[in-house]
Amino acid sequence: MYPGLYHLAVTSPVGAEATALLPRVETMIAVFYFGLFAASFDFISGYTGYLSFGHATFYGAGAYLVVLAANGKLPLPYDTPFMLLIVLAGLLAVVLALVIGAVSFRLSGVYFAMITLGFSQVIYVFVRDWDFVSSSPRDGAAVVGPGGGEIPVFNVGVPGVDALNLAIGQLTGDTVEGLFGLLSLSAVGYDTFRYKLAAFAISGFFAGVAGALFAGFRRSVAPDNSLFFLVSGDALLASIIGGFGTLAGPIYGRLFDETVREFLSKEGAGGGLLPYLRGRLSEGTLATELFNGLTVREAIATFLNGHASLYLGLLFVAFVLFVPRGLLGTLRDRVGDTLAAAVSKRLR
Amino acid sequence: MSLAVPLVAFLDALGQFLRPSTLAEVILNGLSKAALYAMIAGGLTLIFGLMGVLNFAHGSLTMFGAYLGGLVLVLAVGQATGPLARVAYFFVAVVVVFGALAGLGGALEVGLIRPLYDRPPIYQILLTFGVTLVLDEAARIVVSFYGLQPISDWQAALGTKPGPLSASYEFAGVSVSGLALFEILVGAATVAAVWGFLTRTRYGLVVRAGSEDSEMTEALGIDVRRVFTTVFALGAGIAGVAGLLLAWDPVWGASVPLASETLLPAFVVVIIGGLGTFRGTVYAALLVGLVDASMTWWFVNAVDFSGLPQMTIFLILVLVLVVKPQGLFGVAEVGGH
Amino acid sequence: MSGEAADASTPDASAPLLDVTDVHTYYGESHILEGVSLSVDRGEAVALIGRNGVGKTTTLRSVLGLTPPREGTVRLAGEDVTGRPTNEVARRGVGWIPEERRVFSQLTVAENIRIAAPADADTQAALDRAYDTFPALGERPNANAGALSGGQQQMLAIARGLVGDNDLLLVDEPSEGLAPQIVADVAEALAAVAEETTILLVEQNLPLAMDLADRFYLLDNGQVVADGEATRGVTEDEEIRRYLSA
Repeated sequence: MYPGLYHLAVTSPVGAEATALLPRVETMIAVFYFGLFAASFDFISGYTGYLSFGHATFYGAGAYLVVLAANGKLPLPYDTPFMLLIVLAGLLAVVLALVIGAVSFRLSGVYFAMITLGFSQVIYVFVRDWDFVSSSPRDGAAVVGPGGGEIPVFNVGVPGVDALNLAIGQLTGDTVEGLFGLLSLSAVGYDTFRYKLAAFAISGFFAGVAGALFAGFRRSVAPDNSLFFLVSGDALLASIIGGFGTLAGPIYGRLFDETVREFLSKEGAGGGLLPYLRGRLSEGTLATELFNGLTVREAIATFLNGHASLYLGLLFVAFVLFVPRGLLGTLRDRVGDTLAAAVSKRLR
Repeated sequence: MSLAVPLVAFLDALGQFLRPSTLAEVILNGLSKAALYAMIAGGLTLIFGLMGVLNFAHGSLTMFGAYLGGLVLVLAVGQATGPLARVAYFFVAVVVVFGALAGLGGALEVGLIRPLYDRPPIYQILLTFGVTLVLDEAARIVVSFYGLQPISDWQAALGTKPGPLSASYEFAGVSVSGLALFEILVGAATVAAVWGFLTRTRYGLVVRAGSEDSEMTEALGIDVRRVFTTVFALGAGIAGVAGLLLAWDPVWGASVPLASETLLPAFVVVIIGGLGTFRGTVYAALLVGLVDASMTWWFVNAVDFSGLPQMTIFLILVLVLVVKPQGLFGVAEVGGH
Repeated sequence: MSGEAADASTPDASAPLLDVTDVHTYYGESHILEGVSLSVDRGEAVALIGRNGVGKTTTLRSVLGLTPPREGTVRLAGEDVTGRPTNEVARRGVGWIPEERRVFSQLTVAENIRIAAPADADTQAALDRAYDTFPALGERPNANAGALSGGQQQMLAIARGLVGDNDLLLVDEPSEGLAPQIVADVAEALAAVAEETTILLVEQNLPLAMDLADRFYLLDNGQVVADGEATRGVTEDEEIRRYLSA
């Protein structure tokens, strides 16, 4: 439903402001698939306290599976339906999660974070230099179809991702805790190992699915945007801002993150601060010297454009220090319930 | 037949690798890498050992040191500056970088990390991770403002290296670069200085005691929180000096991505050695440096897989964590809190 | 600081060396000490007895500020030190010889002693004093403390308290986990220490506690339920024995 709303807002009387502030439709899709990945990261790290610093492995595995399958490099028909690929990506991630988790859950705290990081970096370096993936594996691989064959088209569209995320949004904290309860009940005695492993596998599944969606929409994948440890860091960023241990929070966190990035993006393509200011501020204002020959235009270019990471980082630090429960977590604390439940109570 | 060919090629390569001159070169290269690893990881292990904080911002501090040190050298060194004077300026830069980074590290500890000691350790990881984002982006802003490419190495800083360090030397058929020797010297001096501080001074004694049991140390009348600040400053200072050394090394060079490029090996070395033991970190740096140099040789001469050295190093990390999670020289209880 | 000089919390020679008044201490949400009051005069040895988990160790930790009390006051020679940082309390002359000894196992015997001596103290004098009291330590000054036997580690923990120039030693379960003849050695050492300084002793071994102490407090459920003179007779007292049996 977002594309419709976006179109409405941009063509409205406050169209210029809306263009500057609202994320583009493409950005919104990116928010959804990465939000799903961040939520899966939060599922294990936020709820159990086991910081899965190698979570990018599952995301990247899903993404690479889609691209390799579409290029006919896997023992699958290259035009396997995308929905099936998504499920396969999830299952591949489950297998990886079980292997990595079986070894890693013998450790905790910093050591757990480090061993998952170690595993993911082994896989990252391996894929980065593996010429089976493409002729220049460091730059990744694009969906080009098998040699001479047709290039597959993935048809999921925005509604598909939208529906998936609505479903995740419905998974409130209670549902997750219920799930965790079930898992621990099925475990024998105090054998929390199996229950943690099962949670890790579930989390891995959704990360794999998110990676598949990512590759499907971008139609390409590179080691640095899928398997690298800083990709897990981005999920962490979204989780902290949205709310650690809230599941839906990371999706909002990622929305916030992407919105700020786009607002401060260098090109300002399709909106953002720079085109807005260019349109609104007079040439005189832009050329005004602040000090020592630095004009307003240069100051904006130097300190704002493309430097969203600085402000997001500052915000992240502030959140860790002062709002450790994140946006959604704090709201839930205030309302004393999950938002959806509170709203529906009000309406009743 | 098909199996025999790679086997023959492998045995042939092994024969070459085991020639004394090859081995000597690999060992020298390994020692120079080990010296860098020990410097990158040394501060990290001191900080973790005492306060249990895994400092994700450590790589960013190294990167700051590379740029700041590079700046000192670029300002001081001209075309006509002789090699000895350049080395002298290097040590001036060591003092400047150590002081500035120690100040920054101390400020970070007091301002940001201190409020978090009472929270679960995960928050300290989160916080320092956030600090990394800020520091890296700040560096990117400043560097681009002065017209430099943040992602490529700062050539002007590389250019201040004295000629004799860029040259190669041959002794008895073994060739070694001047830079490798210089790195071994600086690394060994740093390790010796930190070791002397830890074992020969009362402050070092306090640091070691605090690393083992900070509550007991506090109960002996020692203000451990103040020691935390000092050690954080010291660790940041060492990280900065490591960065300065890297600014002269064309393999690394001063660039913004240097932060994550150094953070990962630092983690690996610190974990393999045993989080929080300086001695373990030094041994682990030797191990990782020698493995790195050997695998680099194999990649250059025999195995067509450029990720070989890095992948082997991460595999060692995973293996150590599986077999002996507290690290090769770690004590189980250190960092267990 | 100067503002405090005039109020009631200045050092006072006539006040008890340690005065604990109505202290309430919690671990998280669990209420451990529910109004403990006790006092120790200069030169005394006082035993704190009671079953496991009644709050004896917590009382010592509250005095040191390791687990600061939420209510009540702790005074040292009349000066209020409640909630002060542990290192500050320790520098006012309070030494801690904790449960399970907690020697620095990675440091040598000599280093354990050196770090316990005040920063401005004569290190050699501190070492001499420790080795005079415990000759067994002087035989292996460069051994790692972790390599010592349990009894030697206990000696080292006591030596640490001794060289710290302390007026008051808080001693927690010194005989725990030691063989009987070693316990006798430790008891002898503590008796010698008690001659020189003031001791607040937590001890499960009732006869040992009564031999060492001048007075005792009996703790139950976070409160002082009895106190009196420490004599061998106490070990026969039916009511006290009831409190001590599980």
